[in-house]
Amino acid sequence: MQITPAQFDIHPSSGVPIYRQLMDQVAALVVGGQVQAGDMLPSVREMGTALGVNMMTVSKAYARLEAEGVVERIRGRGMAIATTESTGTVAERSRELRPHMEQAVVRGRQLGLTDEQIRRVLDGVLKD
Amino acid sequence: MSPSNIVLRTERLHKSFENQEVLQGINLEIPQGQIVGLLGANGSGKTTLIKCLLGLLKPSAGKSELLGEPSWDLSVKAKDRLGYVPQEPALLPWMPVQSHANYVGAFYEHWSRDRVSRWLKVWDVDPKKQVGKLSVGQRQKLATILALGHDPELLILDEPVASLDPAARRQFMQSLIELAEDERHTVLFSTHIMSDVERVASHVAIMHGGEIAYYGELDQLKDRIKRVRLTRDEDFPATTECPLAIHSRVEGRHLLLSVDRDRLSYDELAERYSAKLEVIDLNLEEIFLDLCGGHEAAFAIGGESTR
Repeated sequence: MQITPAQFDIHPSSGVPIYRQLMDQVAALVVGGQVQAGDMLPSVREMGTALGVNMMTVSKAYARLEAEGVVERIRGRGMAIATTESTGTVAERSRELRPHMEQAVVRGRQLGLTDEQIRRVLDGVLKD
Repeated sequence: MSPSNIVLRTERLHKSFENQEVLQGINLEIPQGQIVGLLGANGSGKTTLIKCLLGLLKPSAGKSELLGEPSWDLSVKAKDRLGYVPQEPALLPWMPVQSHANYVGAFYEHWSRDRVSRWLKVWDVDPKKQVGKLSVGQRQKLATILALGHDPELLILDEPVASLDPAARRQFMQSLIELAEDERHTVLFSTHIMSDVERVASHVAIMHGGEIAYYGELDQLKDRIKRVRLTRDEDFPATTECPLAIHSRVEGRHLLLSVDRDRLSYDELAERYSAKLEVIDLNLEEIFLDLCGGHEAAFAIGGESTR
């Protein structure tokens, strides 16, 4: 599916630089499920003209999204939403998950749950 | 960046009128491909700087170069690569628009009648109308079109949108974006309308006190200059100072500081005042007001090529 500039909402006079607004909004579209892997972003030119912002700003947002692995450049076609592939070793990815788990465990202890009870909650979440 | 990519350069540029020194050592170096918004309060010297750059005013001291040539002595070749729209364009009121365009075109080697006709159409300027009968906004549009007729590499505009209505202003800014798309063109425009700058400019140059207070990427400026709100249990003394802050204000238990993130760490600030700290994003107008209303520390903010 083709993503259109109308799906973006830029506020030039906000304190957040425009390139970051664009990046955040692409990320939000991905997280919110409004766009799928393989969907094409509008061309830099199309975005710049439709939103009335500097093309360099759009390129910068795209380049950074590419560097972050959110989008990928498809030769001759432009930028597409990237497939969320697992990158890095199992150990690296586990390390990334750990802080989120820590938070959950802390919250569980605060609620007065035993380790066994916390494990059971996690098992339940995993089954869903 | 190789020196040949620099389209505009000044070095310790000074300009005085009688006993008033308007430009007090301007150092500026703008490479090809940027869209630069030139900002400054009324009387800060924006127009004077532009006129020195174009060789319309002779600097009192220092250097000014355009397209690799001294501004005061620009060759015809350099002028052929240059477009300029002054604040109050001088047009010939008795001529019809089309004849006026042809007349101006006769002075240039590479003039595109097609481009001019296209812009006249897009901007809704009637080619048959007499120039003197155009509205102020339409005259501004015509002057801009005439400055674009030879596809200049460097376009300098002094308050281009001052007399345009919001729709025309948006359209005008749009055309700047399209013009600069290929990164061969460079645009320098002065303005008071910050939201226009925020939309189209890649870089900003802020003039204050006869100097360039900041020159660099707009995004970088927004990423760097933040306001922090420090809050603690008892009132801050009214005289609380923060030497490295760009701007500071005490409001009871709150201390509001505008800071350059590269120079002050949040943690250090929170610790120094034993206060809770919140960070607030600032838009260009707020940054501009703080930079130009703050104390001298502001001048230490160097953009990428301020020397």
